[in-house]
Amino acid sequence: MTATTIPRDQTKAAPAAASDRSVAENRLGQKLVAPALILMVLVTAYPMLQALYLSLFRYRLTTPDDKAFVGLGNYGVILTDSLFWKDTLNTVLIMLITVAVELVIGFAFAMVMHRIIFARGVMRTAILIPYGIITVVSAFAWQFTFSINNGWVNGTFGWLPGISSTTNWYGDHWHAMFAIMVSEIWKTTPFMALLLLAGLSQISEDMLEAAKVDGATAAQRLFKVIIPNMRAAIMVAVLFRALDAFRIFDNIFIMTKGAQNTESSSFLTYRQAIEQFQLGMGSALSVLLFLTVLLLAYLIVKLFRVDLAQARGE
Amino acid sequence: MHVPKRSRGGLVPLGHSGTRRRLAGSLAALATAAGVLSACGSGGTTTLVWYINPDSGGQAAIAKTCSTSQYTITTQTLPQDANQLRVQLARRLEAHDSGIDLMSIDPPYTAEFANGGLLAPIPQAEQATLKQQSFKGAADAATWNGQLVVYPFWSNTQVLWYRKSFVQKAGLDMNQPVTWAQIIKAASDNGGTVAVQANKYEGYVVWINALVSGAGGSLVQDASAGVDAKVTINSQAGEDAAQVIEDLAHSKAAPPDLSIAQEGQAGSAFGAANGAFMVNWTYIWHNYDTTQPDVAKDIGYTMYPETVQGQPARPPYGGIGIGVSSYSKHIADAQQAAACLVAPKQQAAQAAITGNMPASPAGYQDPAIQKLFPADLIKLFEDSVNAAAPRTVTPYWSDISGAIQSTWHPPTSVSSSTPSASATFIHDVLTGKKLL
Amino acid sequence: MRQKTGVGTWIGFVVILVWCLLPVAWIVSLSFKSLAETTTGSPHFLPQDFTWDNYKVLLGMTSDKSTSHDFLASLRNSFGISIVATILAVMIATLAAYAIARLEFRGKRLVLSLALAIAMFPVVSLVGPLFDMWRTFHLFNTWPGLIIPYMTFTLPLAIWTLSAFFREIPWEMEQAAQVDGATSWQAFRKVIVPLAAPGVFTAAILTFFFAWNEFVLALSLTSTTTTRTVPAQMSFFVGPDPFNPPYVQLATASVIVTIPVIVIVLLFQRRIVAGLTSGAVKG
Repeated sequence: MTATTIPRDQTKAAPAAASDRSVAENRLGQKLVAPALILMVLVTAYPMLQALYLSLFRYRLTTPDDKAFVGLGNYGVILTDSLFWKDTLNTVLIMLITVAVELVIGFAFAMVMHRIIFARGVMRTAILIPYGIITVVSAFAWQFTFSINNGWVNGTFGWLPGISSTTNWYGDHWHAMFAIMVSEIWKTTPFMALLLLAGLSQISEDMLEAAKVDGATAAQRLFKVIIPNMRAAIMVAVLFRALDAFRIFDNIFIMTKGAQNTESSSFLTYRQAIEQFQLGMGSALSVLLFLTVLLLAYLIVKLFRVDLAQARGE
Repeated sequence: MHVPKRSRGGLVPLGHSGTRRRLAGSLAALATAAGVLSACGSGGTTTLVWYINPDSGGQAAIAKTCSTSQYTITTQTLPQDANQLRVQLARRLEAHDSGIDLMSIDPPYTAEFANGGLLAPIPQAEQATLKQQSFKGAADAATWNGQLVVYPFWSNTQVLWYRKSFVQKAGLDMNQPVTWAQIIKAASDNGGTVAVQANKYEGYVVWINALVSGAGGSLVQDASAGVDAKVTINSQAGEDAAQVIEDLAHSKAAPPDLSIAQEGQAGSAFGAANGAFMVNWTYIWHNYDTTQPDVAKDIGYTMYPETVQGQPARPPYGGIGIGVSSYSKHIADAQQAAACLVAPKQQAAQAAITGNMPASPAGYQDPAIQKLFPADLIKLFEDSVNAAAPRTVTPYWSDISGAIQSTWHPPTSVSSSTPSASATFIHDVLTGKKLL
Repeated sequence: MRQKTGVGTWIGFVVILVWCLLPVAWIVSLSFKSLAETTTGSPHFLPQDFTWDNYKVLLGMTSDKSTSHDFLASLRNSFGISIVATILAVMIATLAAYAIARLEFRGKRLVLSLALAIAMFPVVSLVGPLFDMWRTFHLFNTWPGLIIPYMTFTLPLAIWTLSAFFREIPWEMEQAAQVDGATSWQAFRKVIVPLAAPGVFTAAILTFFFAWNEFVLALSLTSTTTTRTVPAQMSFFVGPDPFNPPYVQLATASVIVTIPVIVIVLLFQRRIVAGLTSGAVKG
């Protein structure tokens, strides 16, 4: 986004008249962004700084007299804690698996949507429903789906090995993780598909025709022409979804409440800060979570060399 | 009624245009007017807000009965989950919110609330009356630092429920005290299940506490030492308890949803075709009346199972105490209201609606209760409450309970090393060395 | 060759429809099951005895008013908070997006980097500090206490979408207006605002979706039914049996809160798609 700041049609006014105009323009520009800037600083930057400060204290809301400066002690406890690393691993796993699966399914969906010539409106409506539905609602729908007494999965897929009418989907780590990931994938694949569709529609038909004339098979066309030309779109989709998946909270809260070791980093932070009133420890976790997300964004951008400006076709 | 208006008035500073400001102004005026009206309206009655745990209308009904010309008691519902209930209340009280006058508190969190100064002290004379009126277990669970800090309201306990047809088939004599080992074996040998509460939640610790206490042990001692309380779960009793859980979790008698079972799931498992045994609260007696009348006719009951053969069981103790917020603007009125709400007659009146039993022997004598349950069941409830082992009264209960849930869940992971692992973990959590 | 593609596309079409609609059909079906049916266990997809009871209970058409009272209150809160947050966020974002798309000024980079950071921000990491701040400012458990963070978190998306739309606008018209003697502000208000309206509308829909959906803050910064929104209220649902979660009522509440989403999607699907993709990949 940063790279897109320069308007395409730089003002073409004559240099002589420019200075007055540009002073006014500068002032107007600043005035126009001021409300947004103030709001964003007030609600995120300030509390984040406060979190940074609080994270240096032992401070529990229920025992305020016990507040004491502990330096980086909270960070020390967290970074050597097995629960923290377990939850981080869970979160990373959920992120990697859901994004990978969504990429494949989303791509298939995008191909279908790209080719379809009938019922485009129906298709668009259908695909926007998972996107628009409240995550909590989707989590409930899937929780009931996998419920042992009231779900339809065990009955419908009972013929598959490993599934019977008494399979308890929330009874062990992997089953529970599977259910959580299914709900996440269902809800967010449409978003992925739409971003990929936008990328797909940028590929010129001529190029595909030419490849076909040259005798390329369907697979070759897919891997040699379509995907390389969609690289930017794919990367943007991955970046968005990966950061989003890393923040997973709602589904876990509803479906398992973190039982069976299905807790995510966000969930851990929430529990410390809100349920256990550990403002100091919770703040330290908040700071770490924020830094992790920043690092993740940096890694994805660097690793895949995503050029956001290019991705936007600027 | 006035509250939504107040929140809309709260949007005032965000308005931009002139019309909006005028509109907001008039809204604010309305809100003020409404506030003034509420303060002196209908002949100067005060409104007392009572935050209740969800029930089927018992508390709302007696709130009406106990309202006087001086004050009206209204109810607001709290979350069902005991820990969520605690979080909601504590968060508001820590914010010094005067919107709470009375609140229904789960016994294990009483100490935390009292220790944090969130509860207005109960007058000594009233304390004496309450102590005299209540079951000893109920009074103990309501006591912190030698003071009664909440009004014991209703007391709950668990008994062993069984399907008469099943024990007949299995040939088990239910007139003798039974042990966990016996019922697990009888169930698994005859294709039945033993339903318990073993989801990762407070109810699982209720079970664990009953098992450990039943073997003569305890989870924590010296609770008044706060963080330095002595963790005693790592004992022979702890291992006996772990043995029971391990046995059940790996036996055919374990319902498939054991690791996510709360009271409701246990009730469903018990009502299923292979239901055999269940430990559950008093309310379950009427649970099947309308949905599964044939199950309702098949229910038998007896004392909670023994952890160790020959050592009398210590059933779980639950219930609710009513606390008066120290941030209430009407403490005296609220105390008067609380005294009315916990009068044995009101205890019985709400029990008649909810099945949640009174916290006093006098409440048990009430005709409403006598009509609700068979005489021998009432006797069993009373015996169970008297034999019950309350969870340790400590301000750090939520940490201790959470640490136990982390180390003892899922039930299939429990082994003889679990008690010592959980003792270490509880200690680390209490001293801030480990995250919970 | 063409026919084969057609069959594949057809199958794909059906698969997508089933994928997207099956879980929705499932909660609709659940919402018509009776409470007794799920208490005893009902692994069937369709209700065994179809009933409207759950809707009646939730909408206050029975003697049990407590469930409906809390649910309808949360529905009111959800609508109120989402709409106010949407209007304010879009207003502020429109100003900012115009400046970003059109003007050169110092601090533009700062605004954009901050917006990008907030777009990636883990909301949970703000919950603790915000809770503490809101207690101090008496914003805890108030409408503004939710509206303010909702506005903030939707600003990046709104600014992003809007500036993408604004770039498509034929700016010559603005310049023509300025040549005719209009100030920058007049040119913005008279010429650009009407042209930008569709983009603003799209941004508004996406913003509304966010606020309507939000859970963590709604859960943490509220504590009574005067402010709790639907997603948070749903995790507090209690049925007639205090120990058994009322599955069917939850499903019914789910269906009711999904209706506005479906209506919006039906009416504005083209705009939503345009908005979602314009921000990320210019199509």
